Amino acid sequence: MLESIGKTLNYVIPVLYLGIIYYYYMIYSGRKPRWAKKSSWLLGILLFLSLTEIVIRNIVLGTMPLSNAYDAYSFLAFSLLFVYLIIEMGMKEKGSGLFIMFFGFLLQLIALRYLSWEPETNPLLSNPSFAIHASLAIMGYTALSLSAIYAVLYLIQQRNLKSRNLNKLFNQLPALNYLERLTTRSTLVGIILMGVGLIFAHRMARVTIGSYWPDDPKVIMSDAIWVIYLVGYILATALHWRGKRLAYVALTLFALMLVGAGVVIIGSQSFHEFY
Amino acid sequence: MPLGMIGISHHTAGVEIRDQITLNPKEQEELLKALKDQRGVHGSMVLSTCNRTEVYVSGENLEEEIDRLRSLITEIKGIDYFKNKDLTYVKTDEEMVDHFFKVIAGLDSLIVGEIQITGQVKDAYNFAHELDTTDGVLNKLFNFAMQAKKKVFSDTMLYDGTVSVSFAGVELARKIFSDLSDKKILLVGAGKTAELAAYHFMENGVKEINVVNRTFSKAEELAASLNGAAFPMEQLGEALSKVDIVISATSSEDYVITKQLLKQATAKSKGRPIFIIDLAIPRDVEPSVADIDSAYLFNLDDLEEIVQSNLEKRKGEIPKSLKIIDQYHAEFNQWMGSQSMAVVVSELKQHLEQVRLNEIERLKKNLPQNGYAKEIDSLTTNIINKIVRQHVKTLKQFPEGSADYKRHLQMIQDLIENDQ
Repeated sequence: MLESIGKTLNYVIPVLYLGIIYYYYMIYSGRKPRWAKKSSWLLGILLFLSLTEIVIRNIVLGTMPLSNAYDAYSFLAFSLLFVYLIIEMGMKEKGSGLFIMFFGFLLQLIALRYLSWEPETNPLLSNPSFAIHASLAIMGYTALSLSAIYAVLYLIQQRNLKSRNLNKLFNQLPALNYLERLTTRSTLVGIILMGVGLIFAHRMARVTIGSYWPDDPKVIMSDAIWVIYLVGYILATALHWRGKRLAYVALTLFALMLVGAGVVIIGSQSFHEFY
Repeated sequence: MPLGMIGISHHTAGVEIRDQITLNPKEQEELLKALKDQRGVHGSMVLSTCNRTEVYVSGENLEEEIDRLRSLITEIKGIDYFKNKDLTYVKTDEEMVDHFFKVIAGLDSLIVGEIQITGQVKDAYNFAHELDTTDGVLNKLFNFAMQAKKKVFSDTMLYDGTVSVSFAGVELARKIFSDLSDKKILLVGAGKTAELAAYHFMENGVKEINVVNRTFSKAEELAASLNGAAFPMEQLGEALSKVDIVISATSSEDYVITKQLLKQATAKSKGRPIFIIDLAIPRDVEPSVADIDSAYLFNLDDLEEIVQSNLEKRKGEIPKSLKIIDQYHAEFNQWMGSQSMAVVVSELKQHLEQVRLNEIERLKKNLPQNGYAKEIDSLTTNIINKIVRQHVKTLKQFPEGSADYKRHLQMIQDLIENDQ
């Protein structure tokens, strides 16, 4: 029974994302501006269903959460949704909803490619620290993804202002300095969450394979990405990088993160292989 | 429908006439109290703004009442513009309702989608309501019109985008800085244009406004009135590096703010965004300033273009808004229909009850003492109730407001009147 509900939700959730994208589009285009009042409720429902799906999978499969690629990507989408809902409710800002939901939908689609209801058997998954490590890492990645999204929105809004193209998109998007602030804050949150997640990872490595610094491409790559982000953030703060330059830095770092993660996922056969 | 209005507005008269016919609160009170004493007027309300003076009334024989109203306003104001049929417009019943809905929604305003009018109508209604000159029909009309306006506000973009050049500058600034309260402004030039623009920004939260001018004493004078600091023109570069918004409106023939000057200023401010509004003709700011990443330059033409584009967008929303208004107008008509049915049925019931009581009184003389009095009372009451119910049933068969519906209502009213 639970499994069939979970399996239904696997497909219902991406469809709901599409529905919400349509909903935000209607607000954006000005066809239904009043719908903006109810958007947070819809996000709340989607968040609840996503959480239900995660819980069902963990009960049915009997493993720790986030034990395979499907769980990782869908949890990434879940975190994105969660963080955005907080931003929307707290800052009364709905201008970026369409873009964030689209990104969430893409993550759900990628997740579906790896959908499996076979439990993982890797012994690492029996370690409870894993759940904390994986959750923090994924939330960190979410925050970094958000910073990239806000950097893109900054560039769009700046272009609109520079070209005096004051269209509907311009009216819906937040102010430049607000987008800039969201970019830097998301990056900082991402660095902190990912950093704590990595500390857990290294502690787990010590317990499971006897070394803090395992010779594992995913660990090395994650550390490298984290260091690059940290250096980028310190440089941006120290040298007062702002505006367009800051947005490009955020996007470059994000691109590096994607390339690094892609290389590791495709090429490695490490103890992280379930991931 | 027992509703009517008379008015003079920007559609029919120039500002010189509109200024003269504006009714102050005291005059409005005098007019409303005078209208209250008129037999045919049940409710009244006065809307007097810089763009329109309109009097709304509900009651009977409104055409005659409106004619009297012309004289009343003429007496109060001492000007006979309201007697001039070319300057005034009179609307009754459906037309009046439609007009009122459009006025409250800003669809009849000089600038379409002007939102101030809603508050002005609200004030006018509250004023009349406090003086107890509104009746049930006007109260309901106001409620329906407010609902319609709210729906137009939430479902259309009729009120979106600024339609004044000065506010266009403020709105653009908000799209760069979001919060203006901690932003610093530099006025380049101490003329009226710069000063007016500065006041708009102050109204929107800006606290620090500095002034740079060729004649330093003028800069000092204006800066003092704005609680800011004054700088001589030689310190323009330095002043630019310390501010977020620049409003330039000098009468200089040459560029006052060059790309090189601003480049140096932005380098000093470490690339902090700077929003420049060039209100001067000829322009004060070198156009290539826009090439600097952190500089956002808008001149008068750009701002006017924004205003025009917003106006076009608002006009595009009119059909959608009118559709909403039609919907609420229909709902108001429905309410009026149900009201008139309730009133007429109640009148019929009262009339029949009177007939019944008269007949019983007459019959009593011929009846033995206490003989069947209770039974007769109950029987006649039942007969009356059945007759009334039958009429209600017949009325409910027709759609409210339809010709058959109105005919039947009229038939009942005639029946009552003829019998009286």
